[in-house]
Amino acid sequence: MTETLQALMSGFGVALLPVNLMWGFIGVTLGTAIGVLPGVGPALTVAMLLPLTAKLEPTGALIMFAGIYYGAMYGGSTTTILLNTPGESASIATALEGNKMAKNGRAGPALATSAIGSFVAGTIATLLLTLLAPIVVDVALKFGPTEYFALMVFAFVTVASVLGASMVRGLAMLFLGLLFGLVGIDDQTGQMRFAFGVPELMDGIDVVVLAVGLFAVGEGLYVAAYQSRVKEELERMSGSLMMSREDWKRSWPAWLRATAIGFPFGTIPAGGAEIPTFLSYALEKKLSKHPEEFGHGAIEGVAGPEAANNASSAGVLVPLLTLGIPTSATAAILLAAFQNYGLQPGPLLFQTQATLVWGLIASMYVGNILLLILNLPLIGLWVKVLMIPRPLLYGGILVFATLGAYSLHQSVVDLATLYVFGLLGFIMRRWGFPVAPAVIGLILGPLAESQFRRALAISQGDPMVFLTHPISAVLLALTLLLVLVPWIIRVVRERRKGV
Amino acid sequence: MAGPPARSRAELVLSLGVLALGIGATYIAFSLPETSSYARVGPNFMPKVVAAGLMVMGLWLVAEVFTGGWREAVPDDPAARGEHAFSYVGFAWVSAGLFAQMALIHTAGFVVAAMALFACVARGFGSTRFARDLALGLVLGLGVFLFFVKFLNVNLPAGWLLPLLGGAGL
Repeated sequence: MTETLQALMSGFGVALLPVNLMWGFIGVTLGTAIGVLPGVGPALTVAMLLPLTAKLEPTGALIMFAGIYYGAMYGGSTTTILLNTPGESASIATALEGNKMAKNGRAGPALATSAIGSFVAGTIATLLLTLLAPIVVDVALKFGPTEYFALMVFAFVTVASVLGASMVRGLAMLFLGLLFGLVGIDDQTGQMRFAFGVPELMDGIDVVVLAVGLFAVGEGLYVAAYQSRVKEELERMSGSLMMSREDWKRSWPAWLRATAIGFPFGTIPAGGAEIPTFLSYALEKKLSKHPEEFGHGAIEGVAGPEAANNASSAGVLVPLLTLGIPTSATAAILLAAFQNYGLQPGPLLFQTQATLVWGLIASMYVGNILLLILNLPLIGLWVKVLMIPRPLLYGGILVFATLGAYSLHQSVVDLATLYVFGLLGFIMRRWGFPVAPAVIGLILGPLAESQFRRALAISQGDPMVFLTHPISAVLLALTLLLVLVPWIIRVVRERRKGV
Repeated sequence: MAGPPARSRAELVLSLGVLALGIGATYIAFSLPETSSYARVGPNFMPKVVAAGLMVMGLWLVAEVFTGGWREAVPDDPAARGEHAFSYVGFAWVSAGLFAQMALIHTAGFVVAAMALFACVARGFGSTRFARDLALGLVLGLGVFLFFVKFLNVNLPAGWLLPLLGGAGL
C-alpha cells in the first residue's frame, strides 16, 4: 500500500513535468475533439498518430495516446446529446435519453451531468486502477508462457464472441486478424510466411494500415454510400449548464452505480464500453423513482451510461498494463504503441519502466481534471466543431488518415493496401462483421504464438502442459464454455420452435 | 422454384470467400517447412491452426445460409438501418479521390494529392462547391505539409510545388 502510494507520487512527478502536461493536454483535447466528431474514434486516431512514435519520447507519447483514449469518452456525449448520432459506440445508450432532454430544452443539464459524471467515474476508476494494478502484477509475476497463452486464447474468444451480433462472424474476423498477424518473417526461425515474395509484406502487415483502412477508409466509403444524403438535425444548446438540486440528487447515485458496473466490465475481455453502458441504462430505468420519464428525457439515463463508459475505459487499462492483454480495438493499438518503443506491457513493465507506467497512471488523474474544464466551461467550442459540414469533415479525415499510413514508409503500396483494407472495412460494416477481433488478432496473435512455442519448449513438446497447469486449464475450460453454451442454448431454442 | 433472394446470394458469396481463404491458407501452410527446433512446433503449426479456423467458420457460415440465412444479420433494407439506398456516386467519388492521391503523390507531390483527395471526398459526400473544396484542400494540404516537414521533420514529397516549398524541409 505505501509502496503503491510512493510509486504513484513519483508518477505524479513525471506527469506534472511541463512537457508531459503538454502532451496530456494535447491528448485530452484531441480526444474530446474526435469524441465529438462523428466518424472518428479513438482507435483510428491513435492508429493515425502511431508513426509519430518514431519522433517522440515514450512517456509523452503514451500519455498523449491514453488522453486521446479516455478523452474520446467525454466528447462522445456532446454529439450524442445534441445530434442524436452517437459519436462513438459507447454513447448509444446515452442517445436514448440525452437527445430527448435536448429536445425538451434541457441540453445544458444533460451535458453537465455527463461531464461531471464522466469526471467522477473516471477519477474513481483511475483510483481503482491504481489500487488493483499492483495486486494483479503480483499474481501475474507467477505466470509462465503456459498461463499467458491460455489467457490470450481466453481474450481472443471472448472478444470475438461477445462483440458484435454473431459469434461465427466474430470468430471468422478473429482468424482473419490472426492470419494477417502471421504475414511476414517468423521471429523464431526466420521463415517467410504468407508474403508471396512481395517485399512490402515481408515486414508483416502494419497495424496502422489495417486499422486506418478498416476504420477511416472503410467508414468513409460506407458513410458516402449509405448516409451522406441523410439530413441531420443539430439541437440548439439551450438552457443553462447548471443542474438543479433535483438533477444532482438523481445524478450522483447513477454515477456511482455506473462506475461499479463499468470498471469491472472494462477489466474483462468483453469488448470495452458498450455492454456496461446498456447495463447501466437498464439498471437506472429499473431503480428510478420516475420510470415514466424514461424515453422522454430522464437525467439518470444520461448520467449512468456516461459514467459507465468512462469507468470502463480506465478498467481496460488494468489487463493492458499489467498483463499485456488488450480487450478492445483501441487497447490493441495502444499495445502496438508500446511495442513501437520496444516495451512489452505486463508485470515486468511495472518493474523495469516504473516511472513510465506510474507517470501514465498519474497523468490520468490530471487528464480527468483537464477534461472537466474542457467539457463544461468550453462546451460552446465543441458545439462549433460539431457544425463542420460533413463533406469537409470526411475530406479532412481521409487526408489525415492516408497521411498516417503513407508516412510509415513513404510508399504508394501502403496507400493501395489501405484502399483494399477500406473495401474490406466496407464489407465488414455492411454485413455485420465486427472489426475489433481482427485488430486484436493482428496485434496479439504473434505474441500468442511465441508464448505457445515457449510453453512447449519448456514442457519439451508435451501439449498436455496447458491442461496440467491449473490456471491455464481453468481459463481454457472457461473459453470452451463461452463458445459452447450460447450455441447449445440457441440450438435447443430452435429445436423447440421447430416442434 | 425461384432463385435465392439477393440477400442470401451476398451471404453465400461472403461465406464461400471465408472458406476459400481458409483453403488457400491451408495450402500455403502445408507448403511451409517443418524446421522445428526442440520446441517441436515449427513455423507451420500456427498457420495450420488459423487456416483450419477459417475453414470451419466458412463452412459454418455456409451452413447458416442454407438453414434460413445468417443469424442476427444486418437488415438488407437500407431504410431498416436508417440509411438511404446505396449511392454509387458517393462510393465512386471517395474511391476516385483515393486513387487520385495514389497517382499524384509521387509526381505532383503531397499537397496537390491531398487537395485532389479532399475535393473528391467532399464531392462524394454531396458537396456541390468543387472549386471551394479544392481551395480548402489546398490550404489543408499546405498546412499539414508545413507542420509535418518543418515541425516534426517527417519527409513528405513536395512534387510540383518543390520550387515554392523547396526550402521548407531545411
